[in-house]
Amino acid sequence: MEDKKEGSKANIVMVTDGASIPDPREWRLINAWSIALAGAVCALCMLCVLWPEPYLRILLYLPDGVLITFKITLLAICCAVPLGLITGLGRISRNRCINLLASTYVEVIRGIPLLVQIFYIYYALSRFVQVSGITSAVVAISFCYGAYMGEVFRAGISAINKGQTEAARSLGFNRYQTMRLVVLPQAMRTILPPVGNECIAMLKDTSLVSIMAVPDIMQRARSFVGTTYLYFETYTMVALLYLIITLLLSKAVSIMESRLNYYDAK
Amino acid sequence: MTQSDLSEHMPEASAEPAIVIDHVWKYFGSLPALQDVCLTIAPGERVVIIGPSGSGKSTLLRSINRLEQIDMGSILVQGKNIQSDENNINEMRQNLGMVFQQFNLFPHKTVLQNITLAPRHLRKLSREEAETRALTLLKKVGISDKANVYPSMLSGGQQQRVAIARALAMQPSIMLFDEPTSALDPEMVGEVLDVMVGLAEEGMTMICVTHEMGFARTVADRLIFMDQGQIVEMGKPETLFTSPRHPRLRQFLNQIL
Repeated sequence: MEDKKEGSKANIVMVTDGASIPDPREWRLINAWSIALAGAVCALCMLCVLWPEPYLRILLYLPDGVLITFKITLLAICCAVPLGLITGLGRISRNRCINLLASTYVEVIRGIPLLVQIFYIYYALSRFVQVSGITSAVVAISFCYGAYMGEVFRAGISAINKGQTEAARSLGFNRYQTMRLVVLPQAMRTILPPVGNECIAMLKDTSLVSIMAVPDIMQRARSFVGTTYLYFETYTMVALLYLIITLLLSKAVSIMESRLNYYDAK
Repeated sequence: MTQSDLSEHMPEASAEPAIVIDHVWKYFGSLPALQDVCLTIAPGERVVIIGPSGSGKSTLLRSINRLEQIDMGSILVQGKNIQSDENNINEMRQNLGMVFQQFNLFPHKTVLQNITLAPRHLRKLSREEAETRALTLLKKVGISDKANVYPSMLSGGQQQRVAIARALAMQPSIMLFDEPTSALDPEMVGEVLDVMVGLAEEGMTMICVTHEMGFARTVADRLIFMDQGQIVEMGKPETLFTSPRHPRLRQFLNQIL
């Protein structure tokens, strides 16, 4: 059983640009995750306690930006995950048109840097439609990550043993019911860590929207720097803040992953 | 099912055959997996298919519920062509229970949920009805105490018995078995075969691909020997085992017995 599971996971390319998801079976107290988190929290507290001016002032200036960052990330996740699921299903569809459409979407989006996509939607398309910074940020990030997640969903669905589909079809389920009742619930488990990873990567990439004057963490920091010229201090705090957020989120994904292992032999 | 006594004497003579396989060809690439196979199976008949690996016996079985698409010929199940678009293949499959070599239980569902999934969604049974039926079936296959565990906690033999119960829960009139004991440890083969023998005694129409010659001898109304995608010889199991006519069957029996 153990070998089989490793094998099915190896089929999925787990390397993404997000924080690494801690292994839920990791039990040791000292590991990369705990060292990074403890280090970041200690550094943050020490700076604020020893030099409240300017560090504490910076820390108190940023929370508005944290809310905006979370808002953009959440909205983008709500769009990108369904988009990714549809893309993934499209990529394994036997219908040639749907398959081509999904594949082309993935090819095009993956070939354009996210920053360029954001510029394109905000500035280039402003000739036709005027959208707010936040809207274009959400649209650009959703489209970009929808394509990446499409690949994750496709890989996760393809990794489910063909016998599962055959068993469901032989009972009389149609393709849609087979997907919904048998394949997707099982695929969720393999898909969750990489999707969680993409969501965390997404949170980090929202820092790009600061160029459109959306007041996220990064933009707040830039405006703070604009008046005080405290580059080192401000960006140190921003880096620590992002690090702590992504570390906590990667732990949350890891806990969710272990919850999904309920049906494995103990 | 009531016609089983009748079919024992003259399987071809019954009013409507359960399955008619008519000049079926199937290719994997350019390799013929089935070559001009013809076979008529009467309701209540128990047919066992044997043959060396790669002889097309599993392909033939899987063609009957269209898990494999045939390239030429036709297959009628209870008078309905499974290839035709007029007949809903999903509805027809509900009448054709299938048991796989690798069990293929749904690992994310408990034993009970595995059995009730199809009846609840496809037969629209209420939860209580479906569960009552499932528990009766679990009792029949002898594992009623495992209703609420996940398949990964069961032995291979237990999993295969659950798979049989799952197929039976749709109350099919025909059961297809694709090497149901080949993936089992030797000590678990008996418990699965016992369930199948019980099913045969109830008069279920059964088509079984297997390497269990003892089972074939006791249960089969008709034994079919396949080789290289063709039906080489068929008849009463006693006749085939004691006086095989075809040299390929003789060679096969020498190798395995």
